[in-house]
Amino acid sequence: MVDTGVGLTDASDLGGGRVRLYPLTRVMGRADIEVSISGEGQVGEARFRALEYRGFEQMVLGMPAFRVPSMLSRICGACGPFHQLAACIAVENGCSTDVPKAAGWFRELLAWLWLGQSHLVNITYLALPDFVLPMSDPAVRNVVGIYAVEHETVHRLTTVLAAFSEALDMLAGLPVHPAVVVPGGVSYLPDWSACTKASVLLSGCEHELREILRLVEMITKRNAQMIESAMPFRGHYMASTVAGRQALVGETVTAAPFQQGETREMPARDFYDSIVEKPVPWSYLVEAAVGDMGPVLVGPLARVNLGFDTQAPWAELERARTTEIWGHPLDREFLFLVALILEVIRAWENALLLLEQRPKVMEPCVRPKLVDSEGMAVVESPRGTLVHSLRMDAEGFITSYRIVSPLQFNFAMLNQHLTGCARKTVGGMELSEGAAQNLQFALRAFSPCVPCGTH
Amino acid sequence: MYIATVALSSCGGCHQSLFLAGEPLIAMLCDNNISFSNYMVDARSISPSDVVLATGAIRNYEELEIADEIGRTSRKVIAVGSCAVYGGVPGARDIEPPRPETGEALIPGLLDEVQPLDSRIDIELYIPGCPPPPNLIFEALRSVLEGYGHPSFDGTVCSECTRGVEHKGVKAWNHHPGCGVPSMLCLLNRGLLCLGPVTRGGCHAVCTSKGAVCIGCRGPSAMVLSSQLHSMFSDMVKFVSLTTGNREEKTAGQMMSMLKSLYMFTRRDPVTRARVGEKVAGG
Repeated sequence: MVDTGVGLTDASDLGGGRVRLYPLTRVMGRADIEVSISGEGQVGEARFRALEYRGFEQMVLGMPAFRVPSMLSRICGACGPFHQLAACIAVENGCSTDVPKAAGWFRELLAWLWLGQSHLVNITYLALPDFVLPMSDPAVRNVVGIYAVEHETVHRLTTVLAAFSEALDMLAGLPVHPAVVVPGGVSYLPDWSACTKASVLLSGCEHELREILRLVEMITKRNAQMIESAMPFRGHYMASTVAGRQALVGETVTAAPFQQGETREMPARDFYDSIVEKPVPWSYLVEAAVGDMGPVLVGPLARVNLGFDTQAPWAELERARTTEIWGHPLDREFLFLVALILEVIRAWENALLLLEQRPKVMEPCVRPKLVDSEGMAVVESPRGTLVHSLRMDAEGFITSYRIVSPLQFNFAMLNQHLTGCARKTVGGMELSEGAAQNLQFALRAFSPCVPCGTH
Repeated sequence: MYIATVALSSCGGCHQSLFLAGEPLIAMLCDNNISFSNYMVDARSISPSDVVLATGAIRNYEELEIADEIGRTSRKVIAVGSCAVYGGVPGARDIEPPRPETGEALIPGLLDEVQPLDSRIDIELYIPGCPPPPNLIFEALRSVLEGYGHPSFDGTVCSECTRGVEHKGVKAWNHHPGCGVPSMLCLLNRGLLCLGPVTRGGCHAVCTSKGAVCIGCRGPSAMVLSSQLHSMFSDMVKFVSLTTGNREEKTAGQMMSMLKSLYMFTRRDPVTRARVGEKVAGG
């Protein structure tokens, strides 16, 4: 299966009727895109195939519930803390445990920092080269290529990234797979000094953040004129909400149509009950359908479309300005980068606000009382809506576990969108570099995370 | 120099950690060449490289082929992260394949067992950790590129931890800190299974400094690796008995039920061969 070096396609391995784009690059994990071609050379369908599987849902069976979150954080390097958080909330939900107020505050603060950090890595290393160097040779279309010609841009991005990761270092100990979130709360709470230092770090990168936003707006406009294949997304966009506003840990899940139709708001439990998983024999990824809703999109674009909270006035202002320019909802793949940077600003504002609101009573944790029970959690990870549910016995050992990840929700719309893109750009059994670039550009708008997706 | 990165069965956390090295990393890559890296560049085939940063364990047949290909075409391979070094969390438990292989669409089949990277190829340098801190990966890469000795550290997590030990007995072990742990007290004294005594340091004990137990993500300490007479379990029992005053037999009995937690990152490499210990970067 290692690429033979013959180019982009290896149709002979696939029975002659399909071309294959492998491996996909600048995405998290290993996957390919397979395009079926009829005898007349017409494109049939394109499908995204995840090629790796680790089996976390099986691995946690029989484990003590209190140890499960730290193991499940290893599902994903970009969204790991959100898996850990979701696992903790699922345990707490099963045990009917309320976390102390200070722990809730610290969790939310960390979640915003993790989200910002994850998006900044995504922008810098995965997404930006498509926008800054769209017509360049693939050999230089990467962050190093940008650094060679646009040093200042990379410098700004890495400066903001460093502010987020150093703040996380200071507050959580580790920027990736931190251990501080535990069932019932957090393992410790930061003092005023750490909060002040983190606040100074974040405040210091405001200018860079503004400059990055301007750059992203500029290159998005430029790319919009260049990309002929951009088609609107069809289906619903979806994210967790509280009182109609998008939230990281919501009480409800809201889905609104890209085109015509009505907006639906479901309590988290009803949402969970409506999820139907549909395995396919050609991928380790399992599609997650939400009732009879059809294809859905979760992730940054969906959240931006649902609107931010009033705690982040700058982000909300820029979001409103963006929808004025591009219309609402944002429904094209090239708007993905704008969505990412808007969410970074939102994370930055929320983190700064929370750092000022350190509670006076600092109780980090309570011990959940383990009972034979079921628990579930719906949270927003950087890549979109993430669901964890578990069942444990009276001694707290896991008897079943289920994870539904953002890429599973996006799977149907992703394949629908890739098929549309392939029909516009793929010409017969020859997959040109241009067509490959278009397919991957469309793919990256869904922010696919294969480790999360197949877990 | 030609540099590559590759991810086998992994979460992507080691790449995430590498990327957090930021501008110095990008400048270093700019001074050299990236031959392939599916996380960074659009190259689609594995080409000869001077240094490969390889993350992840070998879980399926595709990863097996990729590992062999890297072994054939690369001069030096750095195993980054505990999955690559020990098999890591993917090797923690045996699992059933999710569905019968159809053969119809070339989904890579799963191997019977997860394998660490050195089961297939020679490794120049090991950087255990889940993930290793950004500076450890960056410095290790630089040391191999520039040909100087990599930084080494043979201490344990305990040797970097600032918490103090109280010599008092522990009645039972558990996985939860209750309503929090005083900032200066050893977590073992609170009955929390902290693997700091038997885990390789170099991480500045960041987890214990934040009230969380060490879960052993950096793998066995140099002492554990030094002889077949040592293991994480036996050394842990001895240390805890000394710390708490509990009898070794009693401590061993209490810990037997926690063996899986003890070997969460190293189950696929329980003896953790001595050669790993000789070539570990950053301790």
